[in-house]
Amino acid sequence: MTSPVAWRPRLDRSSVADRRVLLPVLLLLVLGVMVLADRAGRPEAVSLPNPDREPLSQWNAALAALPSRPLVLVGMDPDLGTYPEIRAVTRAVLADLAREGARLAFISFTPDGRAVAAAELARLRNQLVLDAGFVAGAEAGLVLAVSDPLPDGATGAVAEAVADRGGGMAAFDAVLIVGGSDFGPRPWVEQVGPRIPDLPLLAIAPSFTYPELAPYLRTGQLKALLATVRDGAAYVSQSAGQPPLSAGTMPDQPPPALAMLAGMLVALVVVVRGLVTRGPRAGEADAPDEGDAS
Amino acid sequence: MRRSIAAATVVVVGLLLLLDYVVINPLLTATAGAALELVVLLAAAAAVAGGVALVLRHWTDLVERRGDPLGSLVLLAGFGAMLVAGFYPGSQGSADPAVRWLVAALLAPLAAALFSLLFIFLLVALARGTRLHGPRAAVMLVPAAVVIVLLLPLGGGLGEWLGDAAGWVLEVPIGGVFRGLLIGVGIITAVQAARVILAVEGSDD
Repeated sequence: MTSPVAWRPRLDRSSVADRRVLLPVLLLLVLGVMVLADRAGRPEAVSLPNPDREPLSQWNAALAALPSRPLVLVGMDPDLGTYPEIRAVTRAVLADLAREGARLAFISFTPDGRAVAAAELARLRNQLVLDAGFVAGAEAGLVLAVSDPLPDGATGAVAEAVADRGGGMAAFDAVLIVGGSDFGPRPWVEQVGPRIPDLPLLAIAPSFTYPELAPYLRTGQLKALLATVRDGAAYVSQSAGQPPLSAGTMPDQPPPALAMLAGMLVALVVVVRGLVTRGPRAGEADAPDEGDAS
Repeated sequence: MRRSIAAATVVVVGLLLLLDYVVINPLLTATAGAALELVVLLAAAAAVAGGVALVLRHWTDLVERRGDPLGSLVLLAGFGAMLVAGFYPGSQGSADPAVRWLVAALLAPLAAALFSLLFIFLLVALARGTRLHGPRAAVMLVPAAVVIVLLLPLGGGLGEWLGDAAGWVLEVPIGGVFRGLLIGVGIITAVQAARVILAVEGSDD
């Protein structure tokens, strides 16, 4: 066990107090300048869309490679916790596909995903959409869906188009995977990729999955990936100005850049203050957290 | 005996699915499909059993006034509301408008509100961590501060530079560590699976 006073900031009390005040004030000033610059007609001062347009270019190229009125299977498995991060880009992509005349079939392998899919399907009413429902069993269900993704008795234009092409997941022109923490693009790459190598897989996923998914993108197992808030915002800004799909359906927007900036600056204040001014007080270092006593 | 039956089942099913993965054969596909359907049924049955156990637990808590009766009441009411919306005569199940409304107007905002509290809890934990575990907390705080700075949503030349740096950090150091962890987990899983299959020391003790 280390000494309770082994780590101390090299600051006297007055300088510590000064910095405690100075740092938040400094960061609030930065935020104020950003707000003023933003309001003064310099929107580039605060900007959420990713300045690196490579992911967006890959995404656009993957969509452009699809045939006209493509059959797209949407693997809808976000979780309720992280879906707000990708909701805006998911809705923008679905709306753009629908505007292009894409025929969509929704399938889910998680209860959360099914709940979100049911809500999103309501926004796509009057479009060429088939609800393929929920398949239990996670990856086992996914493997079964490779040969038979649609429920028994499925009818309508999408079901007929799939049947005309011989049925099975290979009948689709692409798969759009909307992933979450429980079930994301990885099982699709592992289970569907080797079974149907020619089926393009496009994925939208929350930021924390990016390190896991980046290698799949580099090897071409994923054709395109939008996996950070800023990549999603870049896509949404590209699609801005499009008319809503149906009356009463508002286009979704990513979180405002200024709000994100403010939150991040607050976090930065806490982190830097902790690094600069705080150390373990005598007798507190290495003290067990509450609840650790047992 | 019990162990040998379980090990034999694992070996047979594992080899069956592996063969179906690499060999195209209708009989093999049908057999593997039957095994997968069994897995799907088991998963569905486990989900139903979990739901029933949850209801029974909270019903008992409510009746015997143990734990948090109000919380149990809210849970049972929510459970009942969702079941009624999904099973009333003429309902469209999970696609029913009532279910959609419950999800879109109640469940999703509640989950989002809970997750939004993470921001506050994380900040409190950071402040507390630095107070209690100075040097150790600093090891986490320095990278956190760097990542926050790199992800600041700024425009112009500075924003581009930060964006490039953030991409490099995600791709190289974080990606490398993450893949290392995944490879480690994969190796341990494979070793553990082999121990179970080969019935090596205390695998199901």
